Amino acid sequence: MSRPGFVLTVDERTPPLLMHSGESFRLQEFPLGSRVVYPPESLPGLVDVDEAIEQALLNPIDSEPLTALLRPGMKLTIAFDDLSLPLPPMRKPDIRQRVIEHVLQHAADAGVDDVELIVATALHRRMTGAEIKAVVGERVYRSFWPDHLYNFDAEDRANLAHLGTTEQSEDVEISKRAAESDLLVYVNVNLVAMDGGWKSTAVGLASYNSLRHHHNAHTMIHSRSFMDPRHSELHSSAWRMGRILGEHVKVFQIETTLNNDAFPSQYGFLTKREWEWSLRDQATFLGAKRGIDLLPSKQRRRLFQGMEAPYAVTGISAGAVEPVHAQTLERVHRQQLVEVDGQADVLVMGLPYLCPYNVNSVMNPILAACLGLGYFFNMYRNKPLVREGGVIILNHPVPWEFSTLHHPSYVDFFDEVLAESTDPKVIGPKFEQQYATDPWYTHLYRTSHAYHGVHPFYMWYWCAHALDHVGQVIWVGGDRRSVARMGMRSASTFADALELARDTVGSSPSITYTHNPPHLLADVR
Amino acid sequence: MTGIQQDLTSLSRGWRWGHRKLPPHSAEPHHSFGERREFPTDWARSRPARAAREAILRGGLTPLMHRETTMRVDGLDVFDDLEGPVVIVANHTSHLDTALLLTTLPARWQRKVTVGAAADYFFDAWWRAIGSALVFATFPIERHGHGLSDTPAKLIADGWSIVMFPEGTRSPDGWTRRFRPGAAALAITHNVPILPVGIRGSYAAMPKGRSWPRPGRPPVHVRYGRPIQPREGEGTLELNARVAASIETLLDEDATNWYGAALRAAAKQTPASSGPQVAEWRRVWASTAGPRNTPTRSKAWR
Repeated sequence: MSRPGFVLTVDERTPPLLMHSGESFRLQEFPLGSRVVYPPESLPGLVDVDEAIEQALLNPIDSEPLTALLRPGMKLTIAFDDLSLPLPPMRKPDIRQRVIEHVLQHAADAGVDDVELIVATALHRRMTGAEIKAVVGERVYRSFWPDHLYNFDAEDRANLAHLGTTEQSEDVEISKRAAESDLLVYVNVNLVAMDGGWKSTAVGLASYNSLRHHHNAHTMIHSRSFMDPRHSELHSSAWRMGRILGEHVKVFQIETTLNNDAFPSQYGFLTKREWEWSLRDQATFLGAKRGIDLLPSKQRRRLFQGMEAPYAVTGISAGAVEPVHAQTLERVHRQQLVEVDGQADVLVMGLPYLCPYNVNSVMNPILAACLGLGYFFNMYRNKPLVREGGVIILNHPVPWEFSTLHHPSYVDFFDEVLAESTDPKVIGPKFEQQYATDPWYTHLYRTSHAYHGVHPFYMWYWCAHALDHVGQVIWVGGDRRSVARMGMRSASTFADALELARDTVGSSPSITYTHNPPHLLADVR
Repeated sequence: MTGIQQDLTSLSRGWRWGHRKLPPHSAEPHHSFGERREFPTDWARSRPARAAREAILRGGLTPLMHRETTMRVDGLDVFDDLEGPVVIVANHTSHLDTALLLTTLPARWQRKVTVGAAADYFFDAWWRAIGSALVFATFPIERHGHGLSDTPAKLIADGWSIVMFPEGTRSPDGWTRRFRPGAAALAITHNVPILPVGIRGSYAAMPKGRSWPRPGRPPVHVRYGRPIQPREGEGTLELNARVAASIETLLDEDATNWYGAALRAAAKQTPASSGPQVAEWRRVWASTAGPRNTPTRSKAWR
């Protein structure tokens, strides 16, 4: 029986608490009375995943069974989430592989010849063949790669279809192949409440022309939060676009949810509540920490990036997009939701080594900021964990380091754009178009493995709500130059960070620390 | 200090190496003690360990108890015509209770008695487990739902009597709390009698939080009652209720007199050992007063 999440109040019995800090972790003591939000323990996984997939495909919600939608001569497109999900990557077989194999078996039985599989990358980087193979499995890869299994190209004008505009004049432009298919099957991994629904198709298969309508500072500030689709302007926009898309193509949505087993068993202490650590857990922590800290940075990165999560599948739903997503959200909430009473003056977060955009890559300062101020800050419903005008303390080394292969436009964004202004509302109108249409970035996006030229802007917009909401952001252990470039402050220790926070929140602030990953979604009352 | 030293210091302090694990207060409702192997205590019932225990109890603990407290024991005549094994059940307000029972039992019973002790408290560190098993002949009892151990059944089958405190933990205010039915279930399963014992004054002498009796040789009373044999077809809860009532009567008898307590018991008017429903401080206040010893011999100087 897995235990629900809860809020711990630090007292004299509380041991130091584990805190992630990039490619390392450490123990941190908190002032008495601080609150720590722990995620629920892992829910049990499905006993027979293949049976659950079959059940979902044959008894879908508000849709005919998949078998009834397949016929010879039809055009079938299967789109699926890229490597930004799940995090860390899932131990093989990936749930997408299992679902896609079932779908393809039914397609083969029905005699469907025209099948294409598209990685729904939107403006993310192209996945390599090896990365795609890890997601879809050997059988699918061998049967379809590279002509009928490929990355979506949002800059391939000839293969984009403009389906119209929403009632709010938002362009709906997506993959032509997907739009012109008789059936579009979407296979998702719904790791957090932000994922899934119409966001899968209307974002994952969309071009810049479409994405610019909701990936901007204004929308993000009015998405409170984007982890709560009911109150997210981002999702409202995606839903409007999705409905247009739904008028043009039949979408069969397959959504899957995972439990909280985010780390392999040898790193079990990362998901255990500290006061329950056995002597073995303590020894493992010490050994792992010391060992990792001694490793050269390259080997350390390889060690972390090689980590595969032993996630178990908690549910699979298939059918019409909206009712399927409603079921998915229920399961995500069951796994991640924690009730928290009231906001704090200071919100503390430890940032791990991985965010959706640095799989097999470097977490540069912009991605670190996006992970903390974008993703982790937004893991709430109702109201943020920190009060308006409060302070966020983040733990991460924030090295001034970029992957020129994956994040070329980030380098210039950091040097050029942030040097001029860190205000998302200012930089958008001034610089976004230039980066979005830069031919060199576009070339690298299309032919190499680079994120789109506009992508660093989106990451910064992701921080907009937090930057708008809090009074100060302090990084503990962060590279001072990197932190200063982002218009924030750095501190050597947590105690120093609290000292810096005094100017904003006084000398005895209320403190909340979110103990994640694994993920939690705070329901703040 | 180097990094590794810092980490070791942090771990040893934070996780209280060598001491019991204590979850933060707010985590107690969510706490899991995890899978634990039962600490082996067979050695503590071996002949050499029994000899060592007898020496410790007679030569060390009994004189110490007499030096630190003013003990009064009543009802020992029940052992005259009683054959073991039995389940000895007492109210529990202090760590003194186990010592009081072990040092007041007749010698032949003392040699063949074991004490059920909380696994998470007495068996959380190896040195505490060995110490308590040697001196008090304890065996571990899980209080947090890890399934029933078969140790008590084996002990009874081997002729060992078992001391159990059915409240599960020491009373925080000196008054008795709800009796859990484990001891009654054990007695019914193995058809052995329960020997009720009422203990008064141990809370006032050494309440939770103290590790030594308070100065001044405070009075402590141990009163053994008549054995209670499970009836044919009697349920666990029924027997448990009879045991609780019997201990309540013993406490009343100790505070007043045998006949008066018997009359009140017959009329179901025995004062509740769970104490009056008043403010917490008043409950603690009343318990800390302790029993008053009636002088057993006249003093030469008044």
